[in-house]
Order: sequence, then structure tokens, then C-alpha cells
Amino acid sequence: MQEAGEGSSAVDVKDLRREYVTRSFLKKTTKVTAALDGISLRVARGELFGLIGPNGAGKTTTIKILTTLLSPTSGSAKILDLDINKDMYEIRRRIGIVFGGERGLYNRVTAVENLKYFADLYGVPPSEITGRVKKMIEMVGLEGRENERVEKYSRGMKQRLHIAKALIHDPELVFLDEPTIGLDPGGARDIRNMVRGMKKDGKSIFLTTHNMFEADELCDRVAVISRGKIVALDTPAGLKKSAKDISVIELQTYGADANFVQRIEKIGGVTRVVADLDSERQSIRVQTEFPTEVLPTIVGLAGDVNIIDKSIREPTLEDAYLRLVEE
Amino acid sequence: MVSRVQAVRAAARMTMKIFFADPQWIIPAIIAPFIFTLVALLLFRNETGPLLLYAVLGGGLMGMWGTTVYGSGTSITFDRFNGTMEATLAAPVPLMWIIGGRVAWNTFIGVINGGIILVIGTLWFRTGISIANPLAFTFATVVTYVSLSSFGLMLATVYVLTRQGGFIMNSLEVPVYIATGTMFPVALLPLATQPVAFILGPTWGIEAIRKAAIAGYTGLATSYWTDIGILAIETAAYFAISFYLFGRVERLAKRNGTLEEY
Ligand SMILES: Nc1ncnc2c1ncn2[C@@H]1O[C@H](COP(=O)(O)OP(=O)(O)OP(=O)(O)O)[C@@H](O)[C@H]1O
Ligand SMILES: [Mg+2]
Repeated sequence: MQEAGEGSSAVDVKDLRREYVTRSFLKKTTKVTAALDGISLRVARGELFGLIGPNGAGKTTTIKILTTLLSPTSGSAKILDLDINKDMYEIRRRIGIVFGGERGLYNRVTAVENLKYFADLYGVPPSEITGRVKKMIEMVGLEGRENERVEKYSRGMKQRLHIAKALIHDPELVFLDEPTIGLDPGGARDIRNMVRGMKKDGKSIFLTTHNMFEADELCDRVAVISRGKIVALDTPAGLKKSAKDISVIELQTYGADANFVQRIEKIGGVTRVVADLDSERQSIRVQTEFPTEVLPTIVGLAGDVNIIDKSIREPTLEDAYLRLVEE
Repeated sequence: MVSRVQAVRAAARMTMKIFFADPQWIIPAIIAPFIFTLVALLLFRNETGPLLLYAVLGGGLMGMWGTTVYGSGTSITFDRFNGTMEATLAAPVPLMWIIGGRVAWNTFIGVINGGIILVIGTLWFRTGISIANPLAFTFATVVTYVSLSSFGLMLATVYVLTRQGGFIMNSLEVPVYIATGTMFPVALLPLATQPVAFILGPTWGIEAIRKAAIAGYTGLATSYWTDIGILAIETAAYFAISFYLFGRVERLAKRNGTLEEY
């Protein structure tokens, strides 16, 4: 594992735990879910840090605790060297939060009115608000549409506005919870470019994602979280290296079905098969330590299935990730 | 810490913008108390002079009360409609100041509402109603507005601290009209209910407004300035209680991660 350097950090988390207690309707039974099961990590100032993990792994819970919206059950966390329990308002003033999605904006009023409101809440000096709002609108590319009601915005435009809102008070550290979820490829690319811009401006960034490509492309370091625990923490390159012992056979086929996939799974030395059978042309990825032996076996099994393309490649971050979260 | 005044102003302004952007709010905020008041006024239609002014003022004050009680609920449930609960809870200002800004606007609508009822009541009955001491009347109205806001702020927390917030508010509305003497002079109420009236600040606001408006009005045996003094003290107490209750609400929200669940 790689560690952030010593000294002042943007985020410093030690053994953070969070349980949710849910009572059944009649309050007869209580169920305790450990959403976070003791996580520790450090993010250096100026670093772009990613937290990746499957649904329900605890990503949003982590962000809520670090942004002082939720108290941990135990453990400690420092944000910009301030304690999340003691310096709540000071932390909030110095961080930006992008929860994203359809929520979090006042839909009945315009983008400008939203930004002015949040500028006031975050204590931007009144004389600077107009200039700051204009700058943010330009930065996220909403010029020309800024005086329309937010309810008329597309999903992508709302997400840009979320970014503008989070940066309105020029925070030192920005938290983004799945910032590109639900966006089309172009919209997601724009948001990723904005995140890069934030880093260039010297901000520290903590983001969560499902998307391995995004984590690989953006992040200096990545923590993989699974069922409330950090199962790996490294640079994207380091994580890929940890999966060096596996290779991936990629197949493009006509006529493959679930039955064919099952037969591949049964071949000795195959650790995982990921198949997309929905389209006319199917893509199948087979993870194995012994690609040169497994590939001929698959070809031998093909029968009616037409293998139109086959290749052996190095593991991607996604391969490393899938192995980690499913272990 | 961030300027709270700035936050209060921003919250009031945003509430105003949404109020005008979304006409459906006008029904519960203005029309409902207004109709209720007109019905009450009809009961007094054969009266003249001071008693009529008493009734018309009562109508206006009822409008103010109704909107305060309604508004205190919407001030805190507002984020549920807007999906902005997290954004509000994440702000670097204590929740009380944001809700305070909303309550300030909603109560202001109540005052406007009271004013409209007063004007229409006056025109309707076509008796030359005149305010005895306009300056004292205006001052008492402003102080009552602040007091109503502090009371509304305190009520707002009830909505979060209990699931039955809405129910409690609805069942409170009419007793409050009666207890505070909006409809009948407090002096006429059974002795047992009078202490309730006396701890409700607006009782004193209404008393002061009537003393300023109606020449020769004899309500409670207190003077105008005594009423204002008691009103000020009770208002300060409401703010203090709100401060405490909002602290609890915020701690609860942080523990559960949301405001929405209780
Ligand atoms: N308010 C809540 N009450 C009870 N359980 C909760 C609550 N919020 C989250 N959980 C549970 O805690 C765990 C972690 O949830 P969390 O939302 O942090 O996951 P996530 O990694 O953000 O997932 P996703 O990718 O779906 O957003 C899940 O098992 C979830 O069901
Ligand atoms: Mg999540």
C-alpha cells in the first residue's frame, strides 16, 4: 500500500465505523447494519483521491461522515486538520460537496438564483457574489442558460450546476459522490474535465465512483471499499500490478448463450467469466492465470458458436477491482 | 463563523422567490385563513364602532396567526418538497438561522395577509374605522411580527421532533385563536385558560395593537408599554427555546443522517 506523505493532510481517517439501526414498523425488532467497518485512510493536500466500490459498500456513508453530515459510531476523522466533531461549521465553510443527481437544487428558480443563495449561505462577501456567480457559470459552461429555471435543465446541466454550487465559495477540498452517474459519455467527460480543472487549481479532491475507467483516468490514488472495509489502497498502476497474475482473454462471438458461458466457467484455471450476451454480437471476458492453455480449450468447446475475434490482454483496473470486491 | 444575518436574509429571499414562483402556496398561506376570517367577520356584521374594529382587527390577527402556524411547518418541510434537505443540513450555518429566514418570510406573508383582511373588512362594513394612534399601532404590529416569527421558529422544531407535527399544528390553530384573544377578549375567557394566554406572546401583541387602535379600549388591566415589555420578554424566551430545540434537531439529524425519518 502507498501512503500519503507526512504533514498536513486534506483527509485523515482512523478506524471509522458507522452502524445504522433500523427498527421494524412496530418497533419490536431492531436491525443493526455495519455500513462502515473500521476504515482508515489519508488524503494529502492537492491529491485527487478516489473511493471505489460496489452498491452498498459504504461510499456515501463515508462522504457523509467526512462532510460532517453524519456522526460516526466510533473512530476519528480530521478534515483539513480540523476535527469533524469539534469544528463542524469551520470544516463546512472550507469544503465543497457535490451529491449530484436530481436533488439538492431549488428547481423553481434559476441557476443564478441558486448560486447566489448558496454563496450567501457559505459566506461569500456580498460585494463579490455577482462576480463569483458569473465566473462559476462560465466555468461550468452554462452561459446563456443561467437565467432559466433549473427545472428545465437536463440531467447534465444540473450536474454542472451542482459543481458550480460546490465551488462557489472557493473551497480547499471538494467531495464528489458519483459525479458522473447517469450522464451520457459526453456529459461525463465534461464533468471529468472539471474535476481535473479543480486539481489544477490546487484543490484536494475526494470522489467516489463505480466507474473503473474514471478512477484510472482521474485519480492519483484509489481505495477499494467492499462491505464497509477498505480492501486495497494504491495508485491505479499499483492496483493493476497486483492483478498481474491474471490475464484476460477477450472474445467476440456470434451465437454464444448462457450455456456456452457456463461451459467456459467450468474449464480448469478460469477464475471469472464476464459476458454481455444482449447484443447480436456478444463479448465475453475470461480471467485466468493460464491464458495460453485456456484459450485453445475454449476454441475447442465452441461448436456452433462463431468466435470472430480473440485476444489475450493485460489486466485492467476493473479486473483488479472485480477480484478485490468479490473475494 | 459565517455571517448569520447573511444566511437569514438569503433564506428569506429564497423562500420569497419560491413563493412567487409557485402559486399553489398562496392557497394555504393566504386564501384559507382569509376565508376563515371573513366567516368570522360576518358574525359581527350588525355591530358598529369599536366592537366592529375589534372584530376586524381580530380577523387580521387571525390571518397572521394562521399563516405563522402553517408557515412554521412549511419552513422546515420545505426541503422535503425541494429535495434539498442535505444541502440545507450541510450549510456552514446552524439550521436555526436558515429556518429563521424562512419563518421570517412566511410570517411576513401573515402580516400582509392580516393587512389585506383589515382593509377588506374596513371596506366591507363601510364604517369609518379609524386607528386611534397609528404610530403606536405600527410599532405594536412590528413587535408582534417579530414575536410571531420567534413563536413560529419554536413551532417549526415540533415538526421534526415528532411525526405528529402536522396534526399537532392543525389542532393547535383554533385553540390558539381563542386563547390569545384574537376573537374574544382574554378577560372573557375562563380563568383556567388565562395562564395559557399569558405565556403566548401574541396575546400581548394583540392587546397592544388593540390599545393603540381602539380609543377607549379596556382589555387587560395592563398598559400599552407593559404589553410591549411582556411581549419582548416572551419573544426572547421563544428565541432561547428555539436555539435549544434546533441544537437538538441538528444533533438528531446528524445521528440519523437525515431529517426525514421522524
Ligand atoms: N439511512 C440508512 N438506514 C439504514 N441503512 C442504511 C442507511 N443508509 C445506508 N444504509 C446501509 O449502509 C450500507 C452502505 O450504504 P451507502 O449508501 O454508504 O453505500 P454506497 O457505497 O454509497 O452505495 P451506492 O453505490 O448504492 O450509492 C448499505 O448496506 C445501506 O443499505
Ligand atoms: Mg452512494
